[in-house]
Amino acid sequence: MAAVVIKKTTGLTGLAVHRNPHHVLTVLYNKILRSLGKIPQDAPYRCNTEQIVKERFQHVKTELDPVKLEQKIGCGQLEEVIKQAENELLLSRQMAHWKPWEPLLKEAPKNQWKWPI
Amino acid sequence: MASCWRRITSLPVASLLRSSSIGLTRAAAVPHLYRCQSNTATTETKPTVRPVNAVCQSQLQEFGAYIVENLPKYVQRVEVSHGDELEIMICPDGIVPVLSFLKDHHSAQFTNIVDICGVDIPTRENRFEIVYHLRSLRYSSVVRVKTYTDELTPIDSCCSVFAGANWYEREIFDMFGVFFSNHPDLRRILTDYGFEGHPFRKDFPVSGYVEVRYDDEAKRVVIEPLELAQEFRKFDLHSPWEMFPAFAERNQNVAAVDQQEPKADEKK
Repeated sequence: MAAVVIKKTTGLTGLAVHRNPHHVLTVLYNKILRSLGKIPQDAPYRCNTEQIVKERFQHVKTELDPVKLEQKIGCGQLEEVIKQAENELLLSRQMAHWKPWEPLLKEAPKNQWKWPI
Repeated sequence: MASCWRRITSLPVASLLRSSSIGLTRAAAVPHLYRCQSNTATTETKPTVRPVNAVCQSQLQEFGAYIVENLPKYVQRVEVSHGDELEIMICPDGIVPVLSFLKDHHSAQFTNIVDICGVDIPTRENRFEIVYHLRSLRYSSVVRVKTYTDELTPIDSCCSVFAGANWYEREIFDMFGVFFSNHPDLRRILTDYGFEGHPFRKDFPVSGYVEVRYDDEAKRVVIEPLELAQEFRKFDLHSPWEMFPAFAERNQNVAAVDQQEPKADEKK
């Protein structure tokens, strides 16, 4: 591992350089996929998120060079990608509780969205 | 192109339920490009009117459709108004889920809350509209989430999602008297100590209810009920917008879109 280029900073306040992004991303993506597994299979949120996460997970598995991995994912530095995965994990857990794939809860009252009246 | 700013593209929810996996795509450079082109164009008849960016508009429409697809439980209607402003109308129960989705989902990432504001329309069944403005730095995009409530029904506070919403919600509470449930600290924020009423409500008088003056005898500031020495003169208080024909035309446009909606549903 002597040839690893050491990154000094992310350039973003409050976001420290991560030593082992591949490991963390693998753990996080596994967790997300597991939490998505609790959502019904035909739920659009599950399908869309699984597609995004699996695509990124595939890149993480195949590409070992962090810089090239960042280019392949194309969504900022790996530290940011980790942050995004953490957010998605929290969201997917809450989504199982909210069940947003169900039909519309309540129609808007008449003329609610009509403007000008 | 001249009439573009008047056009509201309304997306009926039913017609949006198609499978698409497209989120926002990065197009930060495109609006600048377009702006340069509009400066050199000679065919523009109303140069002060902002031209519509077709690429940006279609992206926003796709993203609106994506949100409807993911959150059909809460989204009542999606509009792209004024060319490039995405508006998501949701039912009041869906505030926390919709805002969390917009903040945390990979292809949305609206991590920044710009503002929350209120609109008071007393003739409606639910007189208050609460509007959330969110910004995504990742995709360089803005979205507006609208919901509604009345004087008594509390709506969910989104402080658990955006910590920055705390003061904005206090402001709405102060100015409109809308209650937010689960707010950590719901107090007045802008008005004076002991103030009564909510100044941004349409039924709040322009002069207020009380007047404040320094009393020389009592040697302190006194607050007294308002007394107008002269009766308020009668003003003709029509909306200033009614004299602009352009606005009236837009009005007709919107009505036309609304009428077409049910037909589109029947076909499906």
